[in-house]
Amino acid sequence: MAEMIRLSVFRYDPEKGGEPHMQSFEVPLLNAGMKLLDALNYIKWELDGTLTYRRSCGEGICGSDGLNINGVNGLACITPIEGLKQPIHVRPLPSMHVIRDLVVDMDHFFDQYRQIQPWLQTITPVPEHERLQSPEDRARLDGSYECILCACCTTSCPSWWWNGDRFLGPAALLHANRWIIDSRDEATGDRLDQVEDAFRLYRCHQIMNCMEACPKELNPTAAIDHIKRKLLARKS
Amino acid sequence: MRTVKEPGAAHSGLSDWYWQRLSAVVLLLLLPLPFYLLTAVYSGNLDQQALLDIIDHIYSRVLHTLLILALIVHAYMGLKVILEDYVHRIFWRVPLIGAMLVIMTGFGVWWLALIWAWA
Repeated sequence: MAEMIRLSVFRYDPEKGGEPHMQSFEVPLLNAGMKLLDALNYIKWELDGTLTYRRSCGEGICGSDGLNINGVNGLACITPIEGLKQPIHVRPLPSMHVIRDLVVDMDHFFDQYRQIQPWLQTITPVPEHERLQSPEDRARLDGSYECILCACCTTSCPSWWWNGDRFLGPAALLHANRWIIDSRDEATGDRLDQVEDAFRLYRCHQIMNCMEACPKELNPTAAIDHIKRKLLARKS
Repeated sequence: MRTVKEPGAAHSGLSDWYWQRLSAVVLLLLLPLPFYLLTAVYSGNLDQQALLDIIDHIYSRVLHTLLILALIVHAYMGLKVILEDYVHRIFWRVPLIGAMLVIMTGFGVWWLALIWAWA
């Protein structure tokens, strides 16, 4: 008989009413490298088709299945079952409005991402072929461009829990820094202007939950620190 | 649904961040000195007259002044951030920060008066 995995999954359906609650499931260990998403898929396909969660690529690229797993944010598709304390508590991302079960409303998160204007901005004429970048300048983008906007970092940040309406959060600021350090971007001053604020940027107290939570092992705290140093250099 | 506030940047925060770090460096350098004096007193290596002689010295007074100013600036910045984090209603937040500023300023003036023997 296959080894069974015990899970406790957050359930909430506002259309049916009632209080949010945790529901227990038992899922067989399907293979040695089984991931948490495999267990959720088993529940949905074999045990309870009403369980609702987001998923897409299943390979840690799309960032759809950001969840709170045993109290720590992460992607279900790349989190191995092995090593997780059982029962595995699976909850939606913290501090987010739950639409249903494990699906949260990401509108505000993506609105904050839009606020940092995440696209290349230039004032010089468009060159005939392309805007060139040296290998060294390109290398400076490593550690920033890999962000998949899964919101694991931002929703693990206490400063964002307290002031999420104004503090942009680790993910948006990591992306803001990605454009600030891009040698091809010509709107650095405007970008610094947009974030120079006691709440939008400086609400980061370097708690570093973002760094711990990031499934891509990026460091938003360092990116935020770089923006602060850039602002200081501009003033000095 | 969380309300999205987009009033733009207030171009503030840099000076607070700067002063908090600057005051932290001053505290890091100067705060061990009074503890060193206290240890010397409690271990019996420094009597009352010797302690007074040290505290009365002009260098001591200057360093003491720097220490108390850094302490107040650092504490004010830190407590202000805590109030901003937890007190979300402007109706309460602004008077509380203002009251804290007044109390800390009064405390600082009183302490400086003691250092420079105005009291």
